[in-house]
Amino acid sequence: MISSPILNIAKKEILDNVRNKWVIILTIIFASLTLVVSYFGSIFSQGWQDFGDTIAGMMNLVQFLIPIIGLMLGYAAIIGEIEKGSMSSLLALPVARLEIILGKFLGLGGVLSFTIFIGFGIAGIVIGANVSDVNYLDYLIFIGATILLGLVFLIVAMFFSTLFKKRSTSMGLAVFLWFFFNMILPIIFVGIMAASIGIEGLASGDFPEWYHALTLLNPLSVYSALVSLNVGPVSTIEGISVSYPAFYSSGVMILILLIWIVGFLLLNFWMFDRRDI
Amino acid sequence: MISKIVKCPICSYKKTINGEPGEKVTLTCPKCNTKGRYLFPEGFQQVTNNSDSTAIEVNGLIKKFNGLRAVDNVSFNVKKGEIFGFLGPNGAGKTTTIKAMLGLIHANSGEIKINGYDIKHNGKDAKKFVGYLPERVAFYDNLTALQNLHFYTEIKKSSKEECISLIEEFGLSDAINKKVGTFSKGMVQRLGMARAILGTSPILILDEPSGGLDPRGVVLIRNKIREMKNKGTTIFISSHILSEIQEICDRVGIINKGVLVAQDTVSGLSKKLNLKPKITVELEKMSNDVVESVKKVQGVDKVERIGKSIDVICDPKTKAKVILAIESAGGNIINLYTREPSLEEVFMRFTEVI
Repeated sequence: MISSPILNIAKKEILDNVRNKWVIILTIIFASLTLVVSYFGSIFSQGWQDFGDTIAGMMNLVQFLIPIIGLMLGYAAIIGEIEKGSMSSLLALPVARLEIILGKFLGLGGVLSFTIFIGFGIAGIVIGANVSDVNYLDYLIFIGATILLGLVFLIVAMFFSTLFKKRSTSMGLAVFLWFFFNMILPIIFVGIMAASIGIEGLASGDFPEWYHALTLLNPLSVYSALVSLNVGPVSTIEGISVSYPAFYSSGVMILILLIWIVGFLLLNFWMFDRRDI
Repeated sequence: MISKIVKCPICSYKKTINGEPGEKVTLTCPKCNTKGRYLFPEGFQQVTNNSDSTAIEVNGLIKKFNGLRAVDNVSFNVKKGEIFGFLGPNGAGKTTTIKAMLGLIHANSGEIKINGYDIKHNGKDAKKFVGYLPERVAFYDNLTALQNLHFYTEIKKSSKEECISLIEEFGLSDAINKKVGTFSKGMVQRLGMARAILGTSPILILDEPSGGLDPRGVVLIRNKIREMKNKGTTIFISSHILSEIQEICDRVGIINKGVLVAQDTVSGLSKKLNLKPKITVELEKMSNDVVESVKKVQGVDKVERIGKSIDVICDPKTKAKVILAIESAGGNIINLYTREPSLEEVFMRFTEVI
């Protein structure tokens, strides 16, 4: 087995989250929510819905829930250990600061990915056994996109944890960030568009291209576009069906999410390297 | 560049001069105009760079916090196999210096080498040699004592087998599979010492090792330190508890307000300060004659009469004369103790508020 401090630290993070039961709690939350949405999600039909409808029903829920989980796992990653005092002992070992960040991201990202995969996966198997028309590939794409979204919020929260001097500040900003991407930013974008094309234009659902480009600043919009492009139309604004412009493609969406992850990973390295413990 | 304090042989005026090794300078005393010459010693270096014998080198370390110098131009060397005591009042800069030595904080200037490896550029190599007990010992609370130590051995790439025996040695066998979050402060400190020793690093850096320990724990750790020294380990201990440092240290450095004010052996420091030993002489019968005749002895600083005994503070060389004076004045000596100047006195003298 490869013995690198990165893997040792990742393993420790996973063990820590197994011991404090987060892994099992998250898995149960993801599985049960998916099942509930699939079974009770539609007022028009009774019983199990197929993957397409389940995913459509899950989209809003995921956009609320996954960022919270990612932020929660990440906001204390570094500052928590500094405040507690265990960072001093860790850094006094023959380990580079870069390896600590990578190990933490790998471990916490592993916890997040594993719980999403297993939680949604269990639900998927149950749903698959109960409906006739099963498209597992769509569902796997949905799980993959959800994991990417979770990793974006995890690494952003980890950056707060390397940036701030206090755990409470980092948590406060994580909460704000959740509100910002879920509530504030969409309102700002819609407000800008309404001011530009008027209420009638808004109701027509025929949005200008620049609006679609603007919303890509929000990783939540990128995520829902990625799922919609692959799984089927999912409206970004309740009740209005939206068609995407030509420059929207799965590749672009995945690239944007990866840029978020890599960009903030680099910011983490840079910040943590300069920091006094 | 060498800095030297020179003293005018006529009027004792003191002045600091700078020069290169081997440089010859002509000086004029600004007070009495006496002319003199001074030759800077050759081969003199402020810090010897012989990595064969030096375990820790700290050279010109400066660390500022909010513009204030928490550590101000501190330089010292710790030789291999030596126990170096690092003393200073609370907030003097001990922990800051140690953290800089391990690369936990970034110094504003200065150079730190561990076994010849620069902590800034070869941090990973340098840290391979070090076992560290931080001032505030902490573990991963969700993991057990054994799981915690296993994690550290994995990164240190040392044998996992010693974890159990180390936990037992520090009296924690009952708690080996308990979460560290349930441990008392003293237990955490003991486990912290076990962690520092893991992998038998050739250099141990211990920041206040007896913090939070009961007397039994203090003895346990002190014995362990001695045992490690016998194995040839270099040990750097910071403390403000002087008695334990005095017992085990080969040399001490005293830091006050960020400045290293002294660095020497305990006896060397007391010599520098002209601290004198105290002799307590117990007599069969005390008389004023005895006190008076002792006072007349040259080199005696202070005589104090306490019941049937007298305390005499004098030059070490004068001890015999004191005893002779007592006997010739008719005193009959029953018992005699000598107390060497303690580190406590040295410490108080060096850290006096000026």
